[in-house]
Amino acid sequence: MTLKRRDTNRETKMKRLLTTAIGAVGLLAMSSAAQADAAAGQAAFEANGCLDCHYTEGPAREKTIEDQLAKTGPELWYAGDKFVQDWLTAWLTVPAPIRPMKFNSLTEENPGDHPALSADDAASVSDYLMSLTSGVVESGTVKVKKNAKGRVIFSKKMPCSGCHQYTGRKGEPLGGNSGPSLAEAGKRLNPDWILAYLKQPETFKPVKMMPVFVGLLSDKDMANVASYVAYFGTK
Amino acid sequence: MKKLLTVAFAAGLAAQIVSAPAQAADAETVFKFYCAQCHGLAGKGDGPNVTKDFPVSPRNFTDAAEMSKLSDADLRNVILDGGPAVSKSPMMPPWAKTLSDEEVDGLIGHLRMLCACEG
Ligand code: HEC
Ligand code: HEC
Ligand code: HEC
Repeated sequence: MTLKRRDTNRETKMKRLLTTAIGAVGLLAMSSAAQADAAAGQAAFEANGCLDCHYTEGPAREKTIEDQLAKTGPELWYAGDKFVQDWLTAWLTVPAPIRPMKFNSLTEENPGDHPALSADDAASVSDYLMSLTSGVVESGTVKVKKNAKGRVIFSKKMPCSGCHQYTGRKGEPLGGNSGPSLAEAGKRLNPDWILAYLKQPETFKPVKMMPVFVGLLSDKDMANVASYVAYFGTK
Repeated sequence: MKKLLTVAFAAGLAAQIVSAPAQAADAETVFKFYCAQCHGLAGKGDGPNVTKDFPVSPRNFTDAAEMSKLSDADLRNVILDGGPAVSKSPMMPPWAKTLSDEEVDGLIGHLRMLCACEG
């Protein structure tokens, strides 16, 4: 972990934030360096207006389709479960489109106008976002590989490929547009989170355009398809 | 303070229990949210997922000739269990675990409105 330059003003603010963080959440086991960066990251997150479009406290708030459609950006309260930190830090400085379509639109393309952060802010915001977890994602549940059973589920048995972009054998872009692109899923998403998301969709996204597969795919098949999806973009 | 906290906690819990089951939304909202991504907002089979490599055309719900071949029971069957349940493409997803019975009833009514036909 690298220490960043900071002014005294920020230092006081940070100390105050730190105290609050420790008091309210009791994150006593965290190393003090990580705490400092996460607290600075939270301050930068708020100062940059990120809360206008993203909520950072769980549990999931959406109860109806209207709630989901009223959102102007995806929820980030379990960002630490979901993302690969290296990807996240880099993306925050160069936020290239993830969803082919504009958020919550079926008619407009993603304009690719997400606000970008400086490298310094991106590093601390990334530490902050990685500190946000749901507490329900087990680690080590998914072995990432070119999973043949997963491939059959993804592109033949189930309609996953109908809504998600992915990369074909010759590197050609394939698949549908309504879901987030999975072409770089292996660089972007934590494989264990992919499985948890399929197994307990109500925890992460109680209202979403993607069908619920619980009871339709066995736990084993979910692990196979998670393994296959987490392989996209890694070779 | 302690009492206040307990009350707040109990209220929070009660709110959670009461609002737990998904509320049934009106049929048009449900259609536009779940079905339009493939079938199109007007039901013509032209949603944003239908790219050149999409393997089969999603049913055009405004085609009365085709839609009147399907009974309401057929519609319910394919909506709940997906394409393969009626020997059609797996690109038509199974919605049994996503939609409530009332939402499926509403959708069947909405499809009949779009085709202006009966089964
Ligand atoms: C005007 C609304 C808006 C603001 C302000 C905003 N975001 Fe976003 N954010 C979005 C949308 C919309 C997406 C989806 C982008 C995509 O799919 O390409 C997104 C995606 C993200 C993602 C990826 C989440 C995912 O599930 O794919 C992260 C991380 C993120 N934003 C962080 C931030 C940070 C940090 C800030 C403050 C600098 C910020 N956002 C400000 C709307 C916003
Ligand atoms: C009908 C369209 C549709 C189908 C079919 C579908 N998805 Fe999705 N999927 C979505 C949408 C839309 C989202 C984003 C949900 C949201 O953020 O509200 C999503 C989200 C995801 C995510 C999280 C991606 C992210 O960056 O947030 C994964 C992983 C995923 N889907 C995998 C799958 C798999 C595996 C299957 C097949 C078993 C599948 N999807 C089938 C539409 C679909
Ligand atoms: C991932 C894309 C996708 C989504 C989302 C989707 N469908 Fe379909 N649907 C299809 C495809 C493709 C077909 C055509 C299957 C075939 O002809 O083999 C189809 C066919 C149908 C049929 C005709 C079945 C038959 O026997 O001819 C009905 C009815 C239907 N869909 C209803 C719905 C409803 C209602 C929704 C929303 C809850 C929905 N679909 C969502 C892709 C989709």
